[in-house]
Amino acid sequence: MIETLQFWAVVVLLGLGVFFTFVSTVGVLRLPDIYARAHTASQTDTLGAGFALAAVAVAFGWQQATVYSVLLLFFVFITNPTAAHAIARSAAETGVEPLLTEDPDDADDDANTAVESEGEVQ
Amino acid sequence: MSTDGHQEGAAVAVERLLVPLSDTVTVRQTVGYAVQSGLEDADSLECHLVVAMPYDADVPESDRYRDDAENLLSRAQSWVEEDAGTADVTIETATIGVDEYLFGPRDYAEIFDAYAADHGIDRVVIDPEYQPGVTAQLLQPLERELERIGLTYEEAPVERPARRGRLVGETEDFDRLFATFWISYGFYLVLGDPTYWFDLLTGAAVAGIVAVSLAQVTFTVPLDRVQSPIRVVRFAIYVPYLLWEIIKANIAVSAVILRPSMPIDPSLSRVNSRVRSGLPLTALANSITLTPGTLTVRATNQELLVHSLIPDAREDLFDGGLERGIRFVFYGRAAAAIPSPRERDDAEIVGGEEL
Repeated sequence: MIETLQFWAVVVLLGLGVFFTFVSTVGVLRLPDIYARAHTASQTDTLGAGFALAAVAVAFGWQQATVYSVLLLFFVFITNPTAAHAIARSAAETGVEPLLTEDPDDADDDANTAVESEGEVQ
Repeated sequence: MSTDGHQEGAAVAVERLLVPLSDTVTVRQTVGYAVQSGLEDADSLECHLVVAMPYDADVPESDRYRDDAENLLSRAQSWVEEDAGTADVTIETATIGVDEYLFGPRDYAEIFDAYAADHGIDRVVIDPEYQPGVTAQLLQPLERELERIGLTYEEAPVERPARRGRLVGETEDFDRLFATFWISYGFYLVLGDPTYWFDLLTGAAVAGIVAVSLAQVTFTVPLDRVQSPIRVVRFAIYVPYLLWEIIKANIAVSAVILRPSMPIDPSLSRVNSRVRSGLPLTALANSITLTPGTLTVRATNQELLVHSLIPDAREDLFDGGLERGIRFVFYGRAAAAIPSPRERDDAEIVGGEEL
């Protein structure tokens, strides 16, 4: 009984992990610029890796490897935003302008395609 | 310490001193000493006050550093005028190292040397607490580098007002060592086997080395014996809340990405957060970035520049849930109950030119 439950818990968690990793991949391909892509890239690390590691923890049961997977998740959660911020900040500093919608409440696709102007952006 | 540079000073009519400044408790005394010692040996003194800029001019923080530098230079100039009285003192002020990124003591020594060569400097007077915009202690390695380059320098004999602070500093140091030791020992034992004597022994040795070498780097702000453990507990309460926010935001962003029309609404907003710069701000910026849909592009002082992908994520940001969480972790429950950034008018949507 417990084994079946454990098995299906692992399957569901892995499925969710794969799903969010897939969504993130789709997002990286579909989204228009580096800032928007950085958002979705962090999904892989948060929920994608999160569910996968939760599946690992459930599969191992209560032993030392479980502690390792929790620690892994902890470090992923610290390093992921740091890396995302570093990418976004360096993009901003090299003068990559984000694509922004003209009217923030208007969610059309005809985004205000900001022209890149390198000289004046710090 | 080499102080031979001004032995022959009596023969020289003009003594040229270079005084690198940084905003420390002893900078006033350093300037005073520079003027006094310069006038002992020579009839007239040329006092070069310089501030070395740690960042190059392209970095956004450099604006703030430049303002601070100007401020410090003008104060120092008036100190020199005050100390010089009727003596013949010429004051030159400059900010140097603006064109490059100063990384280590060698870079500082080299720009001082270049400046000294350009202006015929006889001697450098260094503030013992000299610390130009970087966190690590610079004085000893800087002196070593100056020695290597062959620039004559002298450490100003100042009286540190922190006599009592030194005593407090000892317990602070102990707290840091203690905390670092037990954190690294605990981590070692989690990875190893806490019941095996070999791991216990090697773990203690490793944790000892880590504590001695890294305690000052790990905790830049003094620890509080009561507050710091409480913060750890509060952080443990905050983590489930953060996870819940991450899951909600993930679902919202996933829904937007998978919709064929992909109704994204990217915008940039500026939020003035009410958390202290340093660890709390880092925690807040990281929490914001960790939540899909919001991405911290820039964090300067308490001002965050956040890129948001969908309107919901921006609304959540303006409602300040994560900010309250961080305030709860660092300042307690009472402090968490503050108006949201929207209510206190600290959040606004800005254009791309704000980057």
